[in-house]
Amino acid sequence: MSALKYAWLTYRRETLWFPLAFLVFFVVIAWMMRRPDIRFAIARGYLGFMLPLIGGILAAYAVLDDPALELRFATPTGAARTLLTRLIPILGVQAASGIAFQLFARGMAVDFSPLGGQVAVQMAWIVPTVVLGAVGTSGALATAHCATGAFLTGAVWLVQLLMRGWILSNCGMLYMFMGVLEPRHPDLRLSQTSLIVASAALAVVSWRLLRRQERYL
Amino acid sequence: MSGRVQIGISGLVKTYGRGGRTVRALRGIDLEIGAGMFGLLGPNGAGKTTLMRILAGIAHPTSGTVRIDGHDLATEAGRRATKSILGYLPQELGIYPELTAAQFVDYMAILKGLDDARRRKRRVAEALEMVALENAADRKIKAFSGGMKRRVGIAQALVNDPRLLIVDEPTAGLDPGERIRFRNLLVTLADQRTVILSTHIVEDIGQTCRELAVLGRGRVLFRGTPAGLSRIAEGHVWTVTRPRLEEPKPGTTIVSMLHLEDRVQYRLVGSRVDGDPGAEPARPSLEDGYVRLMQAEETGVGG
Repeated sequence: MSALKYAWLTYRRETLWFPLAFLVFFVVIAWMMRRPDIRFAIARGYLGFMLPLIGGILAAYAVLDDPALELRFATPTGAARTLLTRLIPILGVQAASGIAFQLFARGMAVDFSPLGGQVAVQMAWIVPTVVLGAVGTSGALATAHCATGAFLTGAVWLVQLLMRGWILSNCGMLYMFMGVLEPRHPDLRLSQTSLIVASAALAVVSWRLLRRQERYL
Repeated sequence: MSGRVQIGISGLVKTYGRGGRTVRALRGIDLEIGAGMFGLLGPNGAGKTTLMRILAGIAHPTSGTVRIDGHDLATEAGRRATKSILGYLPQELGIYPELTAAQFVDYMAILKGLDDARRRKRRVAEALEMVALENAADRKIKAFSGGMKRRVGIAQALVNDPRLLIVDEPTAGLDPGERIRFRNLLVTLADQRTVILSTHIVEDIGQTCRELAVLGRGRVLFRGTPAGLSRIAEGHVWTVTRPRLEEPKPGTTIVSMLHLEDRVQYRLVGSRVDGDPGAEPARPSLEDGYVRLMQAEETGVGG
């Protein structure tokens, strides 16, 4: 727990303002809209699209954007523990943002039922957040540049948004926005499972990359 | 304290790619390092930092072997074992400015595996006391001077009571008073540890180390005592007094200039000064020996 406390304290403050700013922005926009269908669209846009994108970008910077990286590498702390302690606070921030937004949205009488039940609503943002987090982390570690990891996150996000029809018909198992855009798709469960497995594979890749510490100094 | 460590380096080669070309940072290093304080001297780009990072288990050798207390640094287990007895102060010390000194050292202690909170708290207090920062323990690091930040760096290196302490260019950027204090601290620590001091400041080595190695272009150019390094320049150090500044002869290096009332006294290292009627032989210093060694390396002539 102490390691997590310090991982939290050592994040750059602007990293934490970034998701908070988007949360406030979307809450205000949703509050200003009066039509329930528009409020739902805004809520879906934040939970399903913005939250995962922010998570992926934060994850790209989580490990390597560390001023004491060389000191950390000189300790016996393993790559797996480093990944966990640097990424858990990001997941925590994203989870807090997601829950806070849903509370505001429900206070504004936004109806999330078109996305399915409670579990389906949560999976609709958790799955793409985990996927983009894995893409951001592994991209940054593979190229040894945080910005490249963030760029890859944005590229995957954009391609998935713009090429929805093509991806759904050719490799629907890897369509991460199925939970928000196609909540009644028969392959939804299978797709989400595939995406979590793919994210786990990227996490293993990240772990292996991080063991080659000299690449990052 | 459980004693010092023995380091054996054999045929160590390190290459890496940079901008599409291969850089040979270390070209077959053979060294034995034992107890006490050991100095690594060399110009920028000699491979000192690469060697330090390999000894710290951060960088991997391309070929050759490095053993620290019997642990082979080519293996993950060997690197981890070494890191558990290591204190490391890198050349570019990155710290978290928003943490207090005590928090920073505490965090590093956690990363080093000091899980028992009570023991960790005691070790943090002891480490900060060793570097005379106990009264600044609760101040944020962003308010510290360069010297205080370096001392925080040493405190984090000491917090796990390491048997091997590796410090890379520790006095860079410190004022003279802080440099002296820092050197004295390292000598004190070397009494119970193996300390490897890497620097390009010759004076730091001369004041602290019983043994040293000089690296140049990825090779060991010299291994011995500071007195031995000074002796390399014997017969090649001169003082020359002239009324005005002159260009030194090729193959000669001006190591110092002293402006007198109407003349300038040069201290020269090189073989071409012999025969100059105004040149007087001088007793070589450690710096002269280092300069002579570098001259020989550049010209390919033995010292």
